[in-house]
Amino acid sequence: MSKVELRDIHKRHGTTMVLRGLSLEVPQGSLLALLGPSGCGKTTTLRAIAGLEAPDSGTIVIGDRVVDEGPVHLAPERRGLGMVFQSYAVWPHRTVAQNVAYPLMLQKRSRDEVAARVREALSWVRLSDLGERRPDQLSGGQLQRVALARALVASPKVLLLDEPLSNLDLALREELRGEIAALRARLGTTMILVTHDQGEALALADSVAVMNAGRLEQLGSPAMVYREPATAFVARFVGGANILEGIAEDGAFTWGGLRFPLPPELRGVTGKGSLAVRSEDVAVRTDVGNWPSLPLSARLFAGESVEYRFVANDTVLRSLGPPIEAAVPGLKLGLELRRARFFAAQ
Amino acid sequence: MKSPFAAAGLFALLAVFAVVPLVALLVRSGADGWLSVWSDPASLWALRGTLLTSAGAAAFAFAFGVPLSLLLERTDLAGSRVLRGLLTLPTAIPPYIWAMGWIALANPRAGLLNLLLGRATFDIYGVAGIAFVLGGAGLPLVILPTCAALARVDASLEEAARLSGAGVWRTLVTVPLPLALPSALSGTALVFLYSASSFGVPYLLGVTASPPTPTLTTRLYGEVLSGATGLERAGALSVELLLMAAVTLLLNSWLSRAGNVRLSSGKGLARRPLPLGRLRRPVALIVMTIVFAITLLPMMAVFLTSVQPTWGVLDGLTFKHWASVLSNARTLEAALRSVVISAGAALLVTGVGLAIALTRRRWLELLGDGLFAVPGTVFALALLVAFSRDVRLVAFDRIAFVLALGNTFALLLVGYVGKHLAYGIRNVSDGLAQLDPSLAEAARLSGAGPVRAFLDAVLPQLRRPLAAAFVLTFLTCMTELTVSVLLIPSGTEVLGTLVFELQSYADPASAAVIACAFIMMVMMVMAMTSLAGRARRERRR
Repeated sequence: MSKVELRDIHKRHGTTMVLRGLSLEVPQGSLLALLGPSGCGKTTTLRAIAGLEAPDSGTIVIGDRVVDEGPVHLAPERRGLGMVFQSYAVWPHRTVAQNVAYPLMLQKRSRDEVAARVREALSWVRLSDLGERRPDQLSGGQLQRVALARALVASPKVLLLDEPLSNLDLALREELRGEIAALRARLGTTMILVTHDQGEALALADSVAVMNAGRLEQLGSPAMVYREPATAFVARFVGGANILEGIAEDGAFTWGGLRFPLPPELRGVTGKGSLAVRSEDVAVRTDVGNWPSLPLSARLFAGESVEYRFVANDTVLRSLGPPIEAAVPGLKLGLELRRARFFAAQ
Repeated sequence: MKSPFAAAGLFALLAVFAVVPLVALLVRSGADGWLSVWSDPASLWALRGTLLTSAGAAAFAFAFGVPLSLLLERTDLAGSRVLRGLLTLPTAIPPYIWAMGWIALANPRAGLLNLLLGRATFDIYGVAGIAFVLGGAGLPLVILPTCAALARVDASLEEAARLSGAGVWRTLVTVPLPLALPSALSGTALVFLYSASSFGVPYLLGVTASPPTPTLTTRLYGEVLSGATGLERAGALSVELLLMAAVTLLLNSWLSRAGNVRLSSGKGLARRPLPLGRLRRPVALIVMTIVFAITLLPMMAVFLTSVQPTWGVLDGLTFKHWASVLSNARTLEAALRSVVISAGAALLVTGVGLAIALTRRRWLELLGDGLFAVPGTVFALALLVAFSRDVRLVAFDRIAFVLALGNTFALLLVGYVGKHLAYGIRNVSDGLAQLDPSLAEAARLSGAGPVRAFLDAVLPQLRRPLAAAFVLTFLTCMTELTVSVLLIPSGTEVLGTLVFELQSYADPASAAVIACAFIMMVMMVMAMTSLAGRARRERRR
């Protein structure tokens, strides 16, 4: 269990800058989720921490040890980490138990100790009966649990998880998510999880680092990132908010040809910027005259509520609300923004 | 292994043992030498022989290979699995054995078919015979890529044609055939190159015939035997062979790129064979007959030759040839020598191929692969010229080579390894490409250093390609003839040259015994690999 610290990491792959001055801190024993769209640099960040890629500049500290800085680059095998790969990376020529025993074997532990700890690790992931199986006889979920046991068996300082659930189907994903949460509660290992699934990040993590184009957009608790996004990007990526680009003045927001009255807390803002509105904060009004209105383009049944979709200025505007019988595609409906966040243009 | 030093070292190895000798061969024969070929009627006659036999072989392989592929891959032809197995045999068995089989069948005076059907019904000697035997031997080079291309054609494309109103035959010709044509043509180009480079078949069927049909390879061999001035002329002839190889390869790579169309949506392919209906059995019968004539018949003839008391006379069976050949010291010595040199070559091909593939440098891989395309006769000649002591002084008088390879088995080993290095590189490189890099990374994070991670996580995954490279090289070298006849130290023999010697001079029956042993060896290995494959699939289930 150790803290992890990244300071001003830069990394270039060929001509593209993958990381542009990334700084992060993961306190001892906590779980950080690196969240972002594909290509944002989250996997590169994880691989840099693992030592599989050397940053071009910057400092990485694990525990009290500087593992990357200038010419210093500690080899991955000497960092004392565990890692679970997206593709499982379970060695097909070894049995489940041999896979899990490998890190201990390299540490030259006694045979009895290895056997005992492998047994324990397999029981953590509920694979006690499958130790003698070969990997080609296991399902995807079981393989990922083998990978988890192998990564944890040698008590790593930090456990790195690279999209560990993305190759699994929905039910298995839920199950393994629970398993990771339970293991963390039990072992207290510092963990860093890479994911592009905001639900996964919010459910598991103590803190979430939202990344975009090689930079950190926001670092905070799941609740904070969800409720108080620091940027329009975070609002859209984490909260799934509508982003409207326009101008705020005199208590109203002009988006294309539409002029929305701003909710009370935003009456004072002025200038160009982005307005982030969650779909549940967009209310559909049938008294068209009092609100800016758009023709309904689609109506999607979503169980308790209905999602209404409008298209304007090449953007889809979504609203989530109670069913309105009369609302059929083509009908003009009024729109009220009940709550929003304004991000002034830079 | 990604270090530039490793790549440089491997390049130096290839340069010394392949590139420099080949370039030296070309430079030595010089512009005068190159042009002299065109003013020498005998050389032109040989060029004509090569062009005619190779074009004939290519045409034969295309004409039979394409319809066979269509029937095997896209229709519900009866017995297609057995047929497919039989049709992979021809390239697994060295071509000169097919020639031996056809000599036994269709020698105008003593061939079995001629004995049965009356004298001189068939004559296997000459241009047509050579083209026929080489075309049959090269048939898999057309069938395998064509079947592979056809397998990528989604059945719905054919069903669309049928719903548009086309019958089965029309569908076959208008949908899968054009889609697979580039692959078929690229395979045909390979048959051309294979035939132009081949030595055993044109020698057995062309040189001893009357009138003789010389080709570039057999003439080159004759020149080498005739001494020092012959070496010069041989060098000039090899320019033509190399040029032909280069042109064919360019054509081939252009064709295979053209054939690389995306034929499926990437999801699972639907494989519904077209029904032949009432014709299913008759067509199967015709195909069986053709395949029987091309593969089983000559093999049976070779076997019969080995048990006939007197060659060319049908009276009774005897195993006296088997007994005498298998107890003969000359045979045993040659066999032992072949086993040792082939195993050595297979080990080196696997090891060097692994090293080259691990550098992950495309140019180095291409260089190693390219040697496979250099006709064996030319490569052997280049080594002969570069490393035989007298000539070496002229070529490298400033470089103090302590490599005394001339007239030794080491030079033969170099020839085998260089010629077949592609087997090692291709197998390992394809194996590596399929390997998930995180397997090695997982070992690193478990605490293994780079070497240990390679040994524990990568090497075990490469067992199969490494074994395939070893077995393939071993089998090929055991029966190798083209490189062997030029590089074998004088007064000694390996199995390939022994068979060749026996067949072309004294004793076809004894040659047939060894040929039978070759065929059995090849079939045993094929059966073993297919059994191993099946066992693996079953374990996975």
